[in-house]
Formats: sequence, structure tokens, C-alpha cells
Amino acid sequence: MGMWQGWTMATYVAIKFPLVILATLLVNGMINGMLAMALGSGIAFRQSFQFLLAGFALMSIVLLSLSPVALFFVFHAAEPTDPGAGQLHSIILLSHTLMIAYAGIVSHSSLLGQVRDFATSRLHGTRTFFAWLAGNLFVGAQISWIMRPFFGTPGLEVQFLRDNPMNGSFYDTIWKSLMNIFIL
Amino acid sequence: MTDQQPPELPQKQPSTAIPTSAQTKPAGPDPDYVSMEGSGFSQILSHLLRKPMSIVYSFNHEGKSPASALLLITLVCLAIFGFVIGIFSAGDQLWAAPLKVIGGVLFSALICLPSLYIFGSLGGMDAKIQQVIGLMLTFITITSLLLVGFAPVVWLFSTSSNSSVFFGFLAITIWIVCLFFGLRVIMRASQCMGGGQGGHLKLWIIVFILVTLQMTTTLRPFIGKSDEFINLEEKHFFLGYWFTSMSDANQSEADKLRSTEKIKVGTGAEAKKGKHKK
Repeated sequence: MGMWQGWTMATYVAIKFPLVILATLLVNGMINGMLAMALGSGIAFRQSFQFLLAGFALMSIVLLSLSPVALFFVFHAAEPTDPGAGQLHSIILLSHTLMIAYAGIVSHSSLLGQVRDFATSRLHGTRTFFAWLAGNLFVGAQISWIMRPFFGTPGLEVQFLRDNPMNGSFYDTIWKSLMNIFIL
Repeated sequence: MTDQQPPELPQKQPSTAIPTSAQTKPAGPDPDYVSMEGSGFSQILSHLLRKPMSIVYSFNHEGKSPASALLLITLVCLAIFGFVIGIFSAGDQLWAAPLKVIGGVLFSALICLPSLYIFGSLGGMDAKIQQVIGLMLTFITITSLLLVGFAPVVWLFSTSSNSSVFFGFLAITIWIVCLFFGLRVIMRASQCMGGGQGGHLKLWIIVFILVTLQMTTTLRPFIGKSDEFINLEEKHFFLGYWFTSMSDANQSEADKLRSTEKIKVGTGAEAKKGKHKK
């Protein structure tokens, strides 16, 4: 993911990407376990963590299988310092987002079946799964935002974290962008 | 690459749920409305999430009530949630927000207790006032416990978000989600106690939600800084107050954006002028 900007960025992203998943699991760990119990799924705290970890592990394997393709495109792409790099940045951003979304859908659909089979009833399993999914998406987006950059905007310095990473949120940014479009 | 195996999924094992002995036969339509096994603190916590009806059962049918443990759990959980809310504004809110959250929830429960008793009775619930107090306490404790589950999420946004509108919206959404789980217990308990899940109880639920939402305005500010601990002089309805706060925040945000745009345009024009001069 970070190779386009060079080895430094690639190393940073190799450290940060697992951290995003781990941090999401940790921040949501307590509420995921509580929701599983309160929704009557029969899934205990530790088991909820194991389920989600298994889901993320499958997602990582799908992403790993796609990484040679991503690497191929990155090696044949223009340098970040070249003119027109902005457009390429958008293409890389979009293609990686699609890959991550695909890996997420595959892993979570597999996880849904397993949670349904394990839970006391299919309905309880489905409810628990979607409660986890909603929470993880909501928190995951914010943690990814804090841990940015992953691709590195052309013209900006390659950094492990942006200056003041905890200043602002993903949803604040979306809100401000909407304000920018509709109010100004 | 072949070494990268996902962690093993939990294996389904024979149910280790609390066995039903002769003493713990279901006494109502709900299979969880049975006696609680043990009365330790951890068992109460586990029952609150897994089998909350057993807590209601212990209030209704057993001499030993877990009221003091529930009250302690509620106070601790609300204090933690309030503290995490207070982190957003820091300063005095670190102690003021927990106090307001505890006070607001307990006061809402207190003023809605008579209506729960009356509306429950109208719906056919056969309960004494002590049992309704127990039910209310169970409901508040479950809600508070779930709020603590969300505390890491709230902490994440309280330390990173700059928007009080977004943070307020997040806190209210989490409160409503947790209330949903707590209120389900009241509906289930009503059925176990001979009542239904009819209109009276649903009306009470609407009343309770409205009271707690109004409490966010009455005890304001929970989010943001203020010279006063509580502002009881200016009276507002919560919807009106929220809309005013939102439009104020949006206005200041729009002003900021406009001024930034003006500066950019100004700098660009000056740069152009400079170029022409050259």
C-alpha cells in the first residue's frame, strides 16, 4: 500500500495497518462482548474477540493474495513527484479501497455464517454480527483517520503520522467537506 | 505464507448456561425468569447481560435483593461514562460531567418511577412498588453497564473530535442504543409479571426517553465550557436548544470557512498584482 511513496512509507504502513485492526478490536472489544451477551447470542467475551480476529485474519489473507497485483501496478506507475501524480494518487486510493472493501466483504460474509451457526439462533447470530460490524466500521474509520497517511498525498512529506493526528475526526472532516460544498 | 493461518474459531460446546434445577423452574413465559445462581458481584454482572430476567426474578421472589450491588454498579458505570464525556472539554467538566450524568439518570428514574408503576398496572402488570423499584434499578444498571462498554469509543472521539455538535450527537446516539437494551428488559419483565407489551408501557418508554433528553438541556452544559455548573435560569425545550446550538456551531464553522476562502482569494490577488508590477 505504501510502496508507491517508497520503502520508508511501505515500512510505516506495514506497521500501521495491523495496528489499525488491533486498535479497532481493542476499542470495541468491551462493547462487542457486551452486545453479544445482551443480544442473547450465547457468545462470550473471549469468543467474540476470537470471532472478530478470525474475520480480520481471513481479510488479511485475501489482501495478501492481492498484494502482488497492487505491487505490479505501483511499480509501473509514475513517480509521486511526476506531473499528474495527483490523478494517480486518486486511482491508487480508489483501487486499494475497492480491494480492502472486497476483502472485507468476503471475510465478513464467511464470519456471518459461522456466527449464525454458533449462536443460540440464526436471528441472534445475525443481530450480533451486524451490531459488531456497525461498531467496527464506525470506530475503524476514525482509527484509520488518526493513523493516516497510508498512501501519501503527492507534495506532502512522508510521515509515520501526520502532525497532531488526534486533532479532528473522520466525521468532522466529512461534515466540513459537506459544509464546504453546500454553504460556500 | 502457508504459515499464516487464522486463529481458530471458538468451538460450540455444550451449553454451560445456568442449569435449571427444581428450584429454578421457569415461573413465567420467559425462560430466563428463573432464580439467580449465586449472588456474587461477578455473577450479578454476568446475569445483567446474559439473563437480566433472573435479576428481576430475585427482586420479585427472593428475600435477598441485589439492590445495593446494582446501585453500586450504576454509580460506578455512570461516573466512568460521565468522566469520558468530560474529557472532551477537560477542566471543570472532568468532575462536573460525571456528577451531572449520575444526577440526570437517577433523577429521571425517580420522576418516572410513579408513571412506570401506574402504566405497568394499567397494562396488567401485577407488581408491588418495591418490585417496580427493583425493575427500574435493573433497567438503569443494564443501561449504565452498556454505556461503560461504549466508553472506549467515546474516549477515542472525545480526544480527537473538535466538533461539539458531532460529539453531542454521538453521546445521545450511544445513550439511545443503550436505553434500547435496558427498555427491552422492562418489556420482558412486564410479560413475566402478568402484563403485556401494550400501549401503556410503550407510552411510558416514550415519556422516559423524552425526560432523559430534556435532562441533557436542563443540566447543560455536559459538553463545552461554562462559567456556571448548571444554568437553571434560561429555560429551553431540548429540541429548540439543540437546533440553536447546531445552527450557532454551523454558522461559526461557515464564517471560519468563508474567512479562510477570503484570505486565500486575497493572497492570490496580491500575488497576481505583485506579478503585474514586476
